[in-house]
Amino acid sequence: MNPLRRKHGSAPVLAMITWVYVLWSLLPILVAVRISLNDGRSRSSFQPMSFRWYWGDPTASLWHDDSMHTALFNTLRLAALTMLVATPIGVAMALGLQRWRGKTSNAANGLMLVPIVTPEIVFGVALFLVFSQLYTGVPDGITRQLLGHVTFTISFVVVIIRSRLAAIGTQYEEAARDLGASRLQAIRLVLLPLLAPAIFASVMVVFATSVDDFVISSFLSTGESTETVPIKIYAGSRASSTPALNALATVMLFITLTAVGLAAALLKAIQRRGGEEPDSGSGLASLSG
Amino acid sequence: MSASRRDFLARSTQLGVLLGAGVPLLQACGGDDKKTSSGKDPIADGLSPEKGPLRIINYADYVNLEVIADFEAEYGVKVEISTIDTDTEATTKLASGAIKADVHHSMAGTSIGNLIAGGLIQPLNRSYIPNFANVISTFNDPWYDPGARYSVPYTFFGTGIGFRTDRIDRALVDEQGWDTIWNATDFKGEVSVLDDEREAFTMAMLRRGVTDINTTDQAIIDQALADVSELIDLVNVKVNIEAYKDIPEGTTTVAQTWSADLIAGAAGYLPEGVSDEVLGFWHPPAGEYVVTNDSMGVLAAAESPVLAHLYLNYLLDNEVAEKNFSWVGYLPAIAKLDADYVIAAGYVPEHLRNCVPTADEISKALFLKPLGAEGDAKYEDAWARFTAGG
Amino acid sequence: MTATLQRESRSRTRVWSVFALPGIGWLIGFFLISVYAVMAVAFGSADPFLKTAIPAWNPLEWDFTTMSDVLDEVFTGYLRKVFVRTFAFVGLALVGCIAIGYPVAYYAARKAGRRKGLLLAALVLPFWISYLMRMLAWTNLLQPDGLVNQFIGWFGLPDDRTWLDGEWHTVVIGLIYGYVPFFILPLYSTLERIDGRFIEAGRDLGASSFQTFLRVTLPLSVPGLMAASVVTILPMFGDYYTNSYLTSGSPKTEMVGNQVEYYLRIVGQPQRGASLVLVLMAMLFVLMVYYMVTTIRQQKAADR
Repeated sequence: MNPLRRKHGSAPVLAMITWVYVLWSLLPILVAVRISLNDGRSRSSFQPMSFRWYWGDPTASLWHDDSMHTALFNTLRLAALTMLVATPIGVAMALGLQRWRGKTSNAANGLMLVPIVTPEIVFGVALFLVFSQLYTGVPDGITRQLLGHVTFTISFVVVIIRSRLAAIGTQYEEAARDLGASRLQAIRLVLLPLLAPAIFASVMVVFATSVDDFVISSFLSTGESTETVPIKIYAGSRASSTPALNALATVMLFITLTAVGLAAALLKAIQRRGGEEPDSGSGLASLSG
Repeated sequence: MSASRRDFLARSTQLGVLLGAGVPLLQACGGDDKKTSSGKDPIADGLSPEKGPLRIINYADYVNLEVIADFEAEYGVKVEISTIDTDTEATTKLASGAIKADVHHSMAGTSIGNLIAGGLIQPLNRSYIPNFANVISTFNDPWYDPGARYSVPYTFFGTGIGFRTDRIDRALVDEQGWDTIWNATDFKGEVSVLDDEREAFTMAMLRRGVTDINTTDQAIIDQALADVSELIDLVNVKVNIEAYKDIPEGTTTVAQTWSADLIAGAAGYLPEGVSDEVLGFWHPPAGEYVVTNDSMGVLAAAESPVLAHLYLNYLLDNEVAEKNFSWVGYLPAIAKLDADYVIAAGYVPEHLRNCVPTADEISKALFLKPLGAEGDAKYEDAWARFTAGG
Repeated sequence: MTATLQRESRSRTRVWSVFALPGIGWLIGFFLISVYAVMAVAFGSADPFLKTAIPAWNPLEWDFTTMSDVLDEVFTGYLRKVFVRTFAFVGLALVGCIAIGYPVAYYAARKAGRRKGLLLAALVLPFWISYLMRMLAWTNLLQPDGLVNQFIGWFGLPDDRTWLDGEWHTVVIGLIYGYVPFFILPLYSTLERIDGRFIEAGRDLGASSFQTFLRVTLPLSVPGLMAASVVTILPMFGDYYTNSYLTSGSPKTEMVGNQVEYYLRIVGQPQRGASLVLVLMAMLFVLMVYYMVTTIRQQKAADR
């Protein structure tokens, strides 16, 4: 930490703005969660608490409404598959782009960055059109959504991994190779363990991006069987009007936070074993460039 | 009935309108209707049904699954339903072979011409469909399928004004007609029109006495655009298809809406303690009343065409149709299920009797017909201007 | 020794391209070609019967009539209103993001002290909460009988305001709420990296802490401010769900994305929808290039 910082003294106004902002950003979420526990149909005020919209209601509750299970299942399956496909491709691509020099490499690096700055609607439209006009043989629904999500998230992985690679440098690998390891052995035995925190960060970012995505999933959705939670929430704002929607969002929230929490804990454990400094927030911060 | 289903229906209606556009063009190009349809003959009489499975394409929640189970039990077959979102999607996927099915459960009137012209549906052999006799007689010769050779009607509904009787006087609505929507300045933000370019502009045309609702006269469309755009400032109009819940829940007071929306609203969307008396429906007099319907048909590529015919027949059975209606909420085109019947059976409150179009109203009804790509584009571009803020 | 790998001759580094190939292939196949498909559709035609797009894959067959119609509308017709509104919403939302995000990022980076860990956790949390859930929360709050109206009622203000009937401020507040977390973090990481000695130097030269901020910290944070602004406004320009979600389909808040969705998905004029997407991309091109160039520069600096 910077020893000089303390000298500037406290900044009460800034502190107030900051904590008011934190309240403002999080309180509505708590309200939404509280409303999911309403016993009545109101989506605007607090009513006596019950689990009616989770499982009590025989038709409209989360437990009894098949379309909600489908949405939840679709979202998690899509996110899991996206992680499995996008992370390895992205890690390999980061390694390749970091080490490979030349004009083609620069062009590839530029190509990799474009998806990050492309508004989602452009993505959604482009994928929608390419699948309906060119790759018509690709089964619609989940397969197309998966391909879309992977396309959308690969670059995030590359950026996160590259910033870590730059920080690690090449000396560990060089040492391993001097000791007789092959290039691949050096990567597997030395580099990958060092990259573990960044890989974790990427997996988490990919997961969150996929779970959060509305536009691409929606453009590539073919009806109820391929709806995800965001699509359901979007459609639900107008169509249905029970707190079951809040219940769905709440469950999704808890699943996401639990997954992220577990991943973070796992990451810490790994780092402690590896005797490394925990490297907080490097993943997200590196996204900012 | 589910809300998403209504979404789909609304989208299908608007998309159907567009899709059908090809027909006049096709005909203009010399492909006369009879010629294109002669590519396939109806199936022969007296065939025994196939073993199935019977593959149906339909919107989500647009058929009572108990009815399906009954059919499966009666014929000892398995039924598989592929869900589609929009009418366009169905046509596109059928044309490209992405979906293979035996029964098209819900063809929009505007798309039937295309399906026939494209050779996607086959002429029916009525000998398998004796229950066609149960159908309201007007549908014996519908505008979209002369002689009903390719289709049997499924559900139908009319377009009018849904309103809250506790906030706005019924007599006033009757007196003002469509002007009710333009005059609802006391209910700013509580007024909506259908999210459908044809429906909304038609309303504006009818208000000015234009009954040629399939016009492609740019001046008339521009006038309709100007009229509908006035609503933005006059009543802070909303554009959606959610009146079926918004009126019962009270967030909307006056809305251009479909008659079935009030029936569904009364059945399922009133808050506890609110009587269905608060719901009112007005529609234009016969001759200016727009009535829309969906139809069922057998696909040309059906692998179980006989079974498909039997399914159509089954759905036209009086009791089956009633059972289906009780869950789906959209009135079937069955003569027996007229206003008197559905009111006596408790499906529709007496004061919403006018939500059931009468035979007379249907026979004199106006229909939204396909306009060709150029005609449709005029409406679409006008609509884009309206939703952009007038 | 460190530099050996990096100094390898070009032919030797080419080995590494094998690792990049799957990713490059993927992005070419599903991103570049997809964007090309948008052009092929925009400059193609549509089936008069089924209304599906008939793309013109061969650039020699491109037909620019739809695009010139769209451009006419954008510069002189009804679409100008939509574009102006979109830019206004995004601009106001950006101002809001800066007004809220800068002090918060600054505090978190330089003043938070002991509570920094907790604060960072709170700032990162919205990342893990679905965007639409956060919007859902606002639709709950903004109902006519919702908590926002109750809250302003406590201050004696009229508590029967409508928020969800097409009010532009609801959309702008919604956009700020939705995107400000994405604004804060990049800015935070820049502010955090500013060397405290510069600030100390400013103070030593007799500047007040506010003057030091204006003369030292603010200029040094400009790159972060720019990066944060770009990553926030790019997605905002393509947003069509926040406004329609928060205003139940009012024509008063339509943005460019809504028109794209209408032409592409609701009615069959795919060439028009695709053309609009290209116009939007062209308008955002400068921002996109700016972000890419700065990112590549930083990568190079980090590799050195």
